[in-house]
Amino acid sequence: MNDLILILTEPWAIRALITCSLIGVMYGVLGCFIVLRNMSLIGDALSHSILPGVFFAFILFGYSTIGFFMGSVVAGLLTALLITWIQQNIKTKNDAAIGIVFTLMFSIGVIGISWLNNEGGVHLDLKDFLIGSIMGISNEDIVLTLLITAYTVGSVVLFYRYLFITTFQPVIASTMGISTKMVHYFLMLMLSFAIVAGLKIVGVILVVALLITPSSTALLLSNKLKNVIMISALIGLLSSVLGLILSIIYNTPPGPAMVIVAASFYFIAALFSPEKGLVLRTIRSYRQRQKIEREDILRQAIKHDAQNPLTIAKLTDRLGINLQTIKKHLKHLSENGVIINGNEISLTAKGVGQAQSLVRAHRLWESYQVQTMGLSEGQIHDEADRLEHHLTDELLDEVDRKLGYPETDPHGSPIPKKSKRLNKSLISQRMNVRLRILKEQVNESVESELWELGLLPNTYVTITKITSKKVVLTQGQKTIEMEPDLAGQVIVSKK
Amino acid sequence: MKSIEVKGLSVSYEKKRVLTNIFLNVESGNVYGVVGPNGAGKSTLFKAILGLIDTNSGDINVLGNDINEVQKRVAYVPQKDDVDWSFPATVMDVVLQGRYPHKKILQRLNAEDRSIAMQALEDIGITDLADRQIGQLSGGQQQRVFIARALCQQAEVFFLDEPFVGVDNLTEEIIIGLLKKLAADDKTLLVVHHDLSTVEQYFDKVILLNQRLIAYGDTKTTFTKENMTKCYGPQLAILHKTGMIG
Repeated sequence: MNDLILILTEPWAIRALITCSLIGVMYGVLGCFIVLRNMSLIGDALSHSILPGVFFAFILFGYSTIGFFMGSVVAGLLTALLITWIQQNIKTKNDAAIGIVFTLMFSIGVIGISWLNNEGGVHLDLKDFLIGSIMGISNEDIVLTLLITAYTVGSVVLFYRYLFITTFQPVIASTMGISTKMVHYFLMLMLSFAIVAGLKIVGVILVVALLITPSSTALLLSNKLKNVIMISALIGLLSSVLGLILSIIYNTPPGPAMVIVAASFYFIAALFSPEKGLVLRTIRSYRQRQKIEREDILRQAIKHDAQNPLTIAKLTDRLGINLQTIKKHLKHLSENGVIINGNEISLTAKGVGQAQSLVRAHRLWESYQVQTMGLSEGQIHDEADRLEHHLTDELLDEVDRKLGYPETDPHGSPIPKKSKRLNKSLISQRMNVRLRILKEQVNESVESELWELGLLPNTYVTITKITSKKVVLTQGQKTIEMEPDLAGQVIVSKK
Repeated sequence: MKSIEVKGLSVSYEKKRVLTNIFLNVESGNVYGVVGPNGAGKSTLFKAILGLIDTNSGDINVLGNDINEVQKRVAYVPQKDDVDWSFPATVMDVVLQGRYPHKKILQRLNAEDRSIAMQALEDIGITDLADRQIGQLSGGQQQRVFIARALCQQAEVFFLDEPFVGVDNLTEEIIIGLLKKLAADDKTLLVVHHDLSTVEQYFDKVILLNQRLIAYGDTKTTFTKENMTKCYGPQLAILHKTGMIG
């Protein structure tokens, strides 16, 4: 650890750290627009094609930072022009044109620099230009990088609106008098400056990774462009600095180390991003499937009654779900007070409410399909089966309104009315409150059990005691005991 | 008041003629339905007036000027499917774009711009969606975002390209109500429209187009069977059968 700190405080290391931080931030910021404008390939092309610029600049000016800069920018612009010319005048696909030009430029650069080494007797290491090097960052390089960073980041801040709207919807930018072409060339110019700044430390092959990986990571983490840009800048900074430190520790070229760090951030975000991450998405879709299966159980339960009770065997048969899963769902449903789970499965008042809103969704949607979309009765059931789990109350109310509050669905079955919240099951009520037993109960067997206990419709009861074995009620002078299961099915009102 | 004047407009893509010799006077205070079969050049007419495409010939005058002089006062609502809806932008971000033409080059958006944008969201009934990412909206809500942006621009002339495609009935009602209100404020509105059954109900005036201008004027006198047959040809019989028109 101490050794590392000693190394990092040496002048060449400090110079490398400063350069890395600057290009990390700059690539993060610019990269967002490169990715959103689908210009990743152009970024890669521009970075490869500055190599011949380096070669010619060396012949003209020798080993000079400013010479490399000018040579690279000229090579970059030439490449951009050549690509555009081919795309507009020759019948070659756009991305093929990019590929043809940049590989040509790259090859000229590679041959040129190799030739210099062999024939010219000059030591100009090709490898350093391809994958970067920690050594050989001069003060001039730092100043140049600083200027380029200030220029590009400053431009993005000042001209944010123009970049945003031309990226989002170029046609609207045009109707507002913003020249999309100007913005495009402006961005290309910034891009070629940025690539030159990273030339020595990252190398031309990997520059594109630092442009697109941090910004793609940021796009997984936020839905707001300004935040995306800031997150991307931060990840770019972390990737380049951590990458540099790793490359010093393990004595590797810095470019690949930075790329590995950036890609690690990317995959972590791809897996664990709160909204777009694979892990949480999988969990959400698993939960959704569970919910749908439980709702299907409720739908089955409401079709059955005491005369024709629902059993586990029937459920596994109807729903095609294995026994173990069914048992798990039943346990969950009875713990939530939705069903009573015994040899026979029956719904509590709460369960009936939930099941009825599913039936309502199903039948309203079927009616809607027949009336508004002109589908026939045979076509609608499966679609409604699927959608009943997803339709929101808000949407259903709208459908209900549009259809003029129909009583029955296309098959002639009644559509349940929207459940009113006033009615609740007896067992969910507080003690010592006067409660009215409603005339409409969840099914006939509940009605007949109430009749046998002497509890007539529209009479009033008060709960005096609730235990796990029984619920004690008074009605006038009478005291009545009831099974908690039954109390969960009896619907009462406070009015 | 005359707001758009088109004289002898012709447009072709590659070698194919799309619009031929169009003469048109559009008056403010009206909602115009632009009607015609597929490939009739309806969207092209919009793009030509907006200066988005090159024309072969013709003079176009908007609000008494060349379009490039009055861009601030003209709003365009294109078809909503040519946008990347996964773009990291919120409803508010998009609606605020309507303020861009009112700003000088380095001038920043301020509180007044924001309150104009909020008002636009309120007018079209999506205030509660201001911070929502645009991809999380329904088709109808997405369309309303684009219209809110046009309102936020405080334009005088509005071009809407098929605003009712892929939207729910409620949104359609809200939009058409809003368009009529804007017309009452002496704005000019042009709407490319496909559903012939609602033309009479929605538009004061119609422009019937099929590469040439078939007819234009008050809906009552222009949207006639005779003109429609000229515009649609044999297609019209099919439209009758499928109940698109009565």
